[in-house]
Amino acid sequence: MAQVPVQTIHRDPQLFCWILFPITIVMILTGVLRHYASVLMQSAPKKLDQKTIREQRSLLHGINVRGNFHALSKKSFATRRDALVTAFESGAYLKDPERAGQGQPNPLSDPSSMEGMMGMMKNQMAMIIPNTLIMSWINAFFSGYVIMKLPFPLTIKFKSMLQAGVMTKDMDPRWMSSISWYFLCIFGLQSVFNFLLGSDNAASQMAQQMGGMGAAPGAQMFGPGVDPDKQFKAEAENLAVIEHYSVLDDVEARLLAGIAV
Amino acid sequence: MAPSLLYNPTKLPPSAALQLAQQAPRVLQGSPSSSETVDQWATYENLLLACLRTGDDEAAAKCMDRLEARFGADNERVMALRGLLSEAQAQGNRELEAVLKQYDAILEGNSTNIPITKRRIALLRSMGRVSDAASALVQLLDFSPTDAEAWSELSDLYFTQGLYSQAIYALEEVLLLSPNAWNIHARLGELQYMAATTSGNGGGSQPRYLAEALKRFARSIELCDDYLRGYYGLKLVTTSLLKEQAKQAKQTDDGEFTLPDSKTIERLDELATAKLSEIVRHSTLKDRGWRGYDEREVAAARELLSQNGIER
Repeated sequence: MAQVPVQTIHRDPQLFCWILFPITIVMILTGVLRHYASVLMQSAPKKLDQKTIREQRSLLHGINVRGNFHALSKKSFATRRDALVTAFESGAYLKDPERAGQGQPNPLSDPSSMEGMMGMMKNQMAMIIPNTLIMSWINAFFSGYVIMKLPFPLTIKFKSMLQAGVMTKDMDPRWMSSISWYFLCIFGLQSVFNFLLGSDNAASQMAQQMGGMGAAPGAQMFGPGVDPDKQFKAEAENLAVIEHYSVLDDVEARLLAGIAV
Repeated sequence: MAPSLLYNPTKLPPSAALQLAQQAPRVLQGSPSSSETVDQWATYENLLLACLRTGDDEAAAKCMDRLEARFGADNERVMALRGLLSEAQAQGNRELEAVLKQYDAILEGNSTNIPITKRRIALLRSMGRVSDAASALVQLLDFSPTDAEAWSELSDLYFTQGLYSQAIYALEEVLLLSPNAWNIHARLGELQYMAATTSGNGGGSQPRYLAEALKRFARSIELCDDYLRGYYGLKLVTTSLLKEQAKQAKQTDDGEFTLPDSKTIERLDELATAKLSEIVRHSTLKDRGWRGYDEREVAAARELLSQNGIER
């Protein structure tokens, strides 16, 4: 079987100095800049007034009672359940009780929720704008070059990833174009930023995307557009259907069976 | 283990606090701006507390200044520490009243400042106005019912006033927040035991309290099988139950805990006695792995055991 001849492309050694390093350095610098920009733009968490805190924490209290009812005796649980169900259903903990049952307010009309959305927008913008700029910069100046050869072999599938912008069918996938180097930098600089800026930096977009996903349930609970009255009613129902048992039932038997002196 | 400035245990023995406060000159020597770390500010805060305990107000004020320079005087936690400092420096009741007025003024502007609210409650309590403190705590818990610290403080307040059922209620709320806290289980058992043994309590509820106390202590031991207070309480309850077995009334089943049969109680009693004497023996000999016990607690356990030995 004939060996496939090793492809050699004679590259200007200056390519390294003028393309590879500039792109890398620019990427790192924008990452650092983005981190500091988002630190600057971060608005302090808004102060909640007492009634909002009361509303949110009462709901949490209800959830706690539902989750940990087994720590109580039957009687103390029943007292709490009755009190909480009555209060939840009558809307005693609501921020403004007279608005109960009017359905959820329009999230856009609420200034406090607008602020949250603005914060999200700002974050998104801080990510999108520099990326677009750098990408168009690279496209304008460096598109169509092959800048380096990876030191390890790759399968043909990587061709579209590594040789974006270079329309050559038969080239070995180990050759890499400048735009692909840019993409590699986006995903690969995470650990560099961790080293430079500390682990909770805002430069790494992966973390931002993950954070967006992780924070969603928490934000959803008290977020805009959620009707607290409905939440309270649902929680009251959850509480009402609990069948009580206590962790203290038969604890002596468990203890005597489990502990040997 | 040597006390560290990075942690702030709630019950630091006086000698350890003194040891911490003596580190003040060394810590305050360094300039605060040089390479900021997370630990640095925790160190300042705990040093401040230790210095206040040992009466070194000067060093405490220095720590305070640094914290204030870093976080700003309007940070809630810094405000509370500043309040603590001025409470410590206040001479006599009149100045304490002035501090209290300051707290009121702060809370007027921002009613959700929880650190200051708590300082105000603590100040009220230390000035002897216990019922004011209790009502302020109830107010705090009305809008923030998920605060375990406040619930346990409320429980302690009610307990000092002899209101056992309220104290038990408050402590149950703590358990709802942290259902596996064995110290809270044991504390609840202690409260129930005290409620049961206090005279003047209607005779009807006494076995109920004792039954639950027994179960609370048992649960606490189940969660932490070396917990001295749990065994101590268990021993107390079983002793009093075994003593009063004769006049035990027939129990009705209305959703309450029922006492286990006398054989189980006897076995629990044996278990508690054995474990207590093991703990006492080992910690008197200062064996390896048995050193963490409080000396006074061990002494109390020894006393309890010797009392029982005489009775038998």
